[in-house]
Amino acid sequence: MTRLRRERRRVLASALVTVAAALAVGVSTTVGYALATGYDRAAQRSDQPDVLARFAPVRRSQLDARLRRLPNVARISYRGEVNRVGLAANGRSARNGAVHIVHGGRRGYAVVAGRDLGSRSGEVLVERGVATAWGLHVGDGIRIGGLGTLRIAGIALSVDNVAFPLAAVPRVYVSAAEVARRFGRERDPVVNVALVWLADPGRLDITLSAARPAIFGLRTEQLLTSRGVRQAIDQAAGVVIALLVVFGVVAAACAGAMLAAGADARVRRRAAVLGIERALGASHAHVVGGQALDAALVAAPAAAVGLAAGALLAIGPATTLLGFLNEVAPGASLLGPMAGVYAGLLALVAAGATWPAWQVNRRPIAALLRGGDLIAPARRIRGGARPAVLGARFATARRGRWLGSVVVLGVAIATVLLVLAVADLLVALRDDPGTLGRRYALTVPGDRSDLPAVRAVAGVAAADQRTTIEAADSFSLTEPLRVVAYRGDHVPFEAPPLQSGRRLRSAGEVEVGDGLADALGLRSGGQLALQPVSGRELRFTVVGIVRALENNGRVVYARSARFERDDPDLGGPIAVRLDAGANRGDVVRALAAAGFAGRASTGATASNRSFLGILATVLRTVAIAIGLVCLAAITQALALTARDRRRALAVLRASGASRRTLGTLLGGAAGAVLLPAFGLALALERLVLGPILARFTADYAILPLRSSGVSLAVVGVSLALTGAIAALAATHTTTREPVASGLGRPD
Amino acid sequence: MGVLTALLRVRGLTKTVGQGRAVRRVLDRIELDVHAGELVAVVGSSGAGKSTLLHLAGGLDRPDAGTIEIAGERLDGRSERVLAGLRARYVGFVFQAFHLVPELSGEENVRLAARFGAHAAQGPARAAALVDALGLRPVARSVPSQLSGGEQQRFAIARALVNDPALVLADEPTGNLDAESGAVVLALLREATRDGRAVLVVTHDAAVTGSADRVVTLREGRLLCGAR
Repeated sequence: MTRLRRERRRVLASALVTVAAALAVGVSTTVGYALATGYDRAAQRSDQPDVLARFAPVRRSQLDARLRRLPNVARISYRGEVNRVGLAANGRSARNGAVHIVHGGRRGYAVVAGRDLGSRSGEVLVERGVATAWGLHVGDGIRIGGLGTLRIAGIALSVDNVAFPLAAVPRVYVSAAEVARRFGRERDPVVNVALVWLADPGRLDITLSAARPAIFGLRTEQLLTSRGVRQAIDQAAGVVIALLVVFGVVAAACAGAMLAAGADARVRRRAAVLGIERALGASHAHVVGGQALDAALVAAPAAAVGLAAGALLAIGPATTLLGFLNEVAPGASLLGPMAGVYAGLLALVAAGATWPAWQVNRRPIAALLRGGDLIAPARRIRGGARPAVLGARFATARRGRWLGSVVVLGVAIATVLLVLAVADLLVALRDDPGTLGRRYALTVPGDRSDLPAVRAVAGVAAADQRTTIEAADSFSLTEPLRVVAYRGDHVPFEAPPLQSGRRLRSAGEVEVGDGLADALGLRSGGQLALQPVSGRELRFTVVGIVRALENNGRVVYARSARFERDDPDLGGPIAVRLDAGANRGDVVRALAAAGFAGRASTGATASNRSFLGILATVLRTVAIAIGLVCLAAITQALALTARDRRRALAVLRASGASRRTLGTLLGGAAGAVLLPAFGLALALERLVLGPILARFTADYAILPLRSSGVSLAVVGVSLALTGAIAALAATHTTTREPVASGLGRPD
Repeated sequence: MGVLTALLRVRGLTKTVGQGRAVRRVLDRIELDVHAGELVAVVGSSGAGKSTLLHLAGGLDRPDAGTIEIAGERLDGRSERVLAGLRARYVGFVFQAFHLVPELSGEENVRLAARFGAHAAQGPARAAALVDALGLRPVARSVPSQLSGGEQQRFAIARALVNDPALVLADEPTGNLDAESGAVVLALLREATRDGRAVLVVTHDAAVTGSADRVVTLREGRLLCGAR
């Protein structure tokens, strides 16, 4: 402790580096942990059912009689879901609200504020997303079409969908008793939603197999398993989580390198003192252990402060993001991983001090006492005595440290490029339908009888009804999939690239997304047995495997004829492809004149747009955070170089070198690290990390994960600025001390 | 004897080091003139403040009180930027440990200093001429680790002279050399005064004091004798 007090300024500098590194790790740990575990927490808290099934309205007793016969069922609850209800509160309103009438039993939602629905009249629960978006609180009133104004008793959270407004429908819950008070009590009420809890969730497949004949004859609109819900949620957050994991690794690597380099420099500076301790009889272990203890004593409070600051900084945005996904923030459970990270950081710092101390101590005591030159004998450099070249040589004199800095910065910059590439991709997904392989520019609500009229509108090149059908593989009912069906050829409207096989040519053939093909082991020429949520099993020949982004690649492209045979009312919007050169606005106006409301087709659905925008913003923020870590790393690398070459810099100053010359020299040193790091980053991003991340986050499609020219330019300019800032900082530090101090102690 | 020009003029120079109870006044109201063509040796026991005096005289450190003039230019109170310019124009340093940049050849070390002078464009030619004049051409492309101590110190002297300074400040220039090499270095410093330069040498070496025009002694922060 005495030694640490004596070296107050250097200790403070080490502590600041530790705080910066711990802050980066704290941010990544908080966001990564929150997102990776948010779904499980929400599912547990809300008592999520293993299966949620939506039917056409049916008497509860009739449905109950069929579902009770299923094997492995523990509990069943029922709700009546009424859609397209007007909701209004706090100056906000929606016409497409959903009212869930709760018929007792297990709820399948969590009450996160206020209390659950009870026997009191005039009460309602509001979904958390609605409460947040509309600024509603417990005790406020909300007007519900047909029910009048009810008092909000509580705020509810359910994980069967993402939150409003990401999910387009605002949802509220009222008790069956409340409805009965208004409209009279029914002995056997009509319901359309069943929540099923299984005795053994691991045997879900068996229950689903038995469910098919049991619910035959009932029009089933949706069969949602907890696994299916998780897949849908992961689809939204998977890319971000993967990137945050990479960010966490990079931050930890940068932090480790910075801390280790700092500890290394400190030990080497104290080589002569270590020699004295050894000469006085201190053991090797005592000297090395002392260095590790010193480093840990400095790092302990600094790492705690950094981690806490990082957690505080990140928890707000992470909670907002979780709110969009209807998930729950980690709260006190974050302390566990944080404690682990804290211990890891301390171990890293101690190891960073132990290794150089051990190395230095291997040298003869006499050499330590001489305080000998700790830099290997220099070789002559080419390029003459130009300051920038000399600076580069100074930076590369310590080969190990230079290589370490280049690798750490290279990985960090590659991550920045990657993060920016993903952010660009998200914006493209949001704005550009072509990213999803879509060629239609507009959709028009309507049915097949409207097709001739739509096709006749000026500027319309082709139009066809696009139907989506939720289904499952007959042999693996837990594998949800989506069928995209056109009456005719789908290629003019959307053409996901063929990975193998050929395009479908008849109603008995399908093209299958890569994600689904991987999950079910499908190949061209194979058979696909489909079980739509409503209707009988249909079998198709798989003729092609396509790379599709929609629904995680768990998608099937087909002709709609065979599905229409089972369900003549099958509908969907009309997809409109424009003539080459046609103006979308003009066509929308022409459609309006013909009585059709044309809507622009976007990369994402309207409800996803804001979410994708938020994700892109989060990712760009992460890129800036990594950029700041880069700045700290290069600043520290330069500070260490300046400290190592303090005497040489002092001699230059004694010879009349100006501040500008020193700046050029240190700029050269920064360039010697940043230029190869940028080259390494480009290679890593293009050849290693980009392809890995593309496979990791979406192995069902080819994501164009490649940084754009603009991103490269932004990163290049930022790096140049970073180098300049670091060089200025090192120059300032160097010239702040008298030249004589740099030359050594005068007598 | 004509009128002597004081290239270095020091008045009332005071410097303390340490803090609190450990504070020590190493230089106490020092008065010193060093004239053109003069080689002045500063002697004193270890810790007497000899190197401190040299550093202050060359603008490498700042005094607590007093004034320093080199060729009529005041150093005290000047910014670091101005001091760097004055050092490049008027001062050449020679250090006991040579302090050559290890990655550069002997001649490149000389050229490096020439970049900072008033006539940087002629730097390479002047560096080459000095290397030739000091008999260093055969080892001009060798890096310091391949040179003997005497060769390194001769390159250091060439570096000090390359900007044609009015004042050369040498801190124990023969301290790390054998007698023969020390004699060569001393001869070079002596030679430097013949071009009208002033040379101030801190030394323990009797050969240097014997060759000096004047010897001054520092004791307990005071300059005890400065007679010519």
